Amino acid sequence: MIFLQNAIDAISLGAVYALAALGIGLIFSIMRLINFAHGELIMVGGFVLYGLAGQPYLVMGLASILVVAILALGMERIAFRPLRKASPATLLIASFAVSYLLQHVVLMVFGARPMGVDFLAQFGDSVELGVLRVPKLQFAAIIVTIVSLVCLALFFRRSRIGVEMRAAAEDFTMARLLGVRANRVIAVAFVISGVLASMVSLYLVAQTGSVSYKMGVNMVLIAFVASVIGGMGSLTGAALGGFLVGIVSVSLQAYLPVDLRPYRDAFVFLAFIAFLLWRPQGLMTRRADMERV
Amino acid sequence: MMGHTDNRSWQSAALLLAVMVAVALLATLAPPALQRTVTEAFIKLTVVIGLYVFVGNSGVFSFGHVGFMAIGGYVSAILTILPAKKEVALDLPVFLETLQLPGLAALIVAVLVAAIVAFLVAAPLVRLRGIALPMATFAVLVIVHVVALNWQSVTGGRQALVGLPRFTSLWVALAGAAAALIVATIYQQTRHGLALRCSRESEVAAAATGIDVERERLIAFVLSAAIVAMGGFLFAHFLGTMTANTFFIDLTFVTLTMLVVGGMRSLTGACAGVALVSIVSELFRSIERGIPVGDHVIEAPPGLQEIALAVILLAILIMRPNGLMGDWELAWPARKKAKEGA
Amino acid sequence: MLSVKDLHVSYGNIVALRGVSLEVAEGEIVAVIGPNGAGKSTLLLTIAGVVRAKQGEVRLGDAPILGIAPELLAARGVALVPEGRHIFGSLTVAENIALGATTRRDRAAIAADIERALDMFPILRERYRQRAGKLSGGEQQMLAIARALLARPKLLLLDEPSLGLAPLIVRQVYDAIFALKRQGMTVLIVEQSVHRAVAAADRTYVVNSGQIAMSGRSSELHGTAAFDAAYFGMGAEKGVR
Repeated sequence: MIFLQNAIDAISLGAVYALAALGIGLIFSIMRLINFAHGELIMVGGFVLYGLAGQPYLVMGLASILVVAILALGMERIAFRPLRKASPATLLIASFAVSYLLQHVVLMVFGARPMGVDFLAQFGDSVELGVLRVPKLQFAAIIVTIVSLVCLALFFRRSRIGVEMRAAAEDFTMARLLGVRANRVIAVAFVISGVLASMVSLYLVAQTGSVSYKMGVNMVLIAFVASVIGGMGSLTGAALGGFLVGIVSVSLQAYLPVDLRPYRDAFVFLAFIAFLLWRPQGLMTRRADMERV
Repeated sequence: MMGHTDNRSWQSAALLLAVMVAVALLATLAPPALQRTVTEAFIKLTVVIGLYVFVGNSGVFSFGHVGFMAIGGYVSAILTILPAKKEVALDLPVFLETLQLPGLAALIVAVLVAAIVAFLVAAPLVRLRGIALPMATFAVLVIVHVVALNWQSVTGGRQALVGLPRFTSLWVALAGAAAALIVATIYQQTRHGLALRCSRESEVAAAATGIDVERERLIAFVLSAAIVAMGGFLFAHFLGTMTANTFFIDLTFVTLTMLVVGGMRSLTGACAGVALVSIVSELFRSIERGIPVGDHVIEAPPGLQEIALAVILLAILIMRPNGLMGDWELAWPARKKAKEGA
Repeated sequence: MLSVKDLHVSYGNIVALRGVSLEVAEGEIVAVIGPNGAGKSTLLLTIAGVVRAKQGEVRLGDAPILGIAPELLAARGVALVPEGRHIFGSLTVAENIALGATTRRDRAAIAADIERALDMFPILRERYRQRAGKLSGGEQQMLAIARALLARPKLLLLDEPSLGLAPLIVRQVYDAIFALKRQGMTVLIVEQSVHRAVAAADRTYVVNSGQIAMSGRSSELHGTAAFDAAYFGMGAEKGVR
């Protein structure tokens, strides 16, 4: 019973991590950019909800998604496009600069204290599924993630721009030689990444009921770890990695001896190191492909 | 050819040292607040030089060095805080509780502990390739952070550990940075440093010429951790306190940014990066405090400093993606020599 | 159709092309041959917009195209099949071929062209739904050419189409090239293998150390002493490459 309850916790947390990891993994697969500012996309999404508090939830949610998508596009246009040919180190530091900038702008405007937001309050109670009581929000997270994954998969298989993006992720220069427009593919990637980030943000705000200027940092770190576990450059891998981290996290929380529980994250990352030693290229990447990373 | 390289590297180090001493001398004329800024800059310089020893020579990013800063600081804290205070704040075994060492001894122990931890941690990890090694160092950062935050009896946990003797003056910090610079320069000249830099350009080619890339990385990592731990030591005795949350993401990225923006392929770059970030930060900090214009004082909203810093860093990266210095090391302009043939 | 004048290209301090000029008339097949490292690939990559030139002029028809982004050149009818094939291994053969038509919108004509490409390379029809990464080297080369043809290019650039392929497969590839010539396609082929390229081409340029060492009608060049000298490097001090 408790095991099933924990399993639901694990899967729903994994679902959110999967969405976050997908956002990171998508940009990386196309541009080799590790976008540290992805966390701030999540954070800004939260603050849009705060700004529109009191409006119908649908309005709040849609506005949040829209603003974050636009911010993602802006980020690409202003900070990352000029750096397209730069080294991965420079790109990473640039993304950190963007992250730092956004955090401090929000800090300056809203202050450091976390602020309460009422969002999807009705998802607070639980749904009875046979003997299980599943919090509605967790249930929604799982459903939304599955739907998103299916939609993304269809998008990448069936749509013209989706196939172009897969080609660009594998060999960007060759894709351009065939006529795939670099700017358009990258822009679409950032928009999708933004939408994924805002979905994570909607969940976080609904679950914690608050926003703070540092709320994106934890999530983005976990998203990296999940992406690396799945195999940087693989979208299925990112999703898989997310679920895996969620499961390990919740399991450790549930099964660690009580006095070790505060150290849970240390154990998660210890497990991560062990994983890296076992399979450094990630779950979905073949070892031969790793050199490209 | 070897001799020529030696000369340039030492020239460069000598010039950088001269600049550092000059800055320190100028700072003694400055108001105390500015002196503090310069002291802090020298401390950060120590850390960034330590970072460069690994990242600059190997081309591999490390996110874990701040963890070794923390180790350096906490070990020294345990060894230098008054036993009476330790008894109250921490829960240490008796011999540690009663122990109190002078600064230099504490430094040596702190650096040794950090080096040993670095060795144990890095030995299994240096075989990792691609993005796995940087991510593993990131895991090290998180683990150190979580442990520091929760190991109440040794680190004080979430609360700041206070009572460290504050002996990091301007000249102590300068000495630390200078020592770091000298050690880094010596290392660069050894065949280990050279071998590592070969692997930076091409792992495959280096391995083919018989270079044990993993071993060279391990050596550089341990040395780097030792220098960074010294930086942590200086930092701890500058603030007088140790707070676990200081040694996490923001400090990691600020130091990495200093390295990359200055130019991560040269020591001059490391120094330039620290100088740039410190100057810009200080500039905007004083703007925040208010610029007197006639009878009025123009004040900027708090937080402007960080925003301006981020914007300027981005601008510099966009204009010079390889950092301010690129590959370049500081040197006297070369005298024109006769060409020795094509 | 294509005119290159005084092209200078460097990779950092290494000079790859020093003042290369050549012409390809419409409907011609022109071969560029030369030893390894002569700059042949650089030439094609620069024409296709992947590599930046320091100096020089490249015209497609009347229009200058030097420095234009590769995707825009693709829209203008330049198709490059780079050395090493560069097919998208994680995509299917069908998806690879379809990507060739990225710049086109005429669905019916695209479908017809796919049929034609599959007629030209029947093995691709067999493997149509398979992941392209599973194809053999020769099959991948055919896929790369089929993909390039889907763009209905005005100018087809082939970089070492026979590299790493068994002689039988090479013959198939060149049969396809001959078929294209009969259809009036303009082709610029870069090859290390002298024999095939020169046999297929109307005219040949010999490139060495980043410069055109010799050029002329293929029938006149082949087998002459001057040709060998041009290919292997002029003058004793350069040595044999």
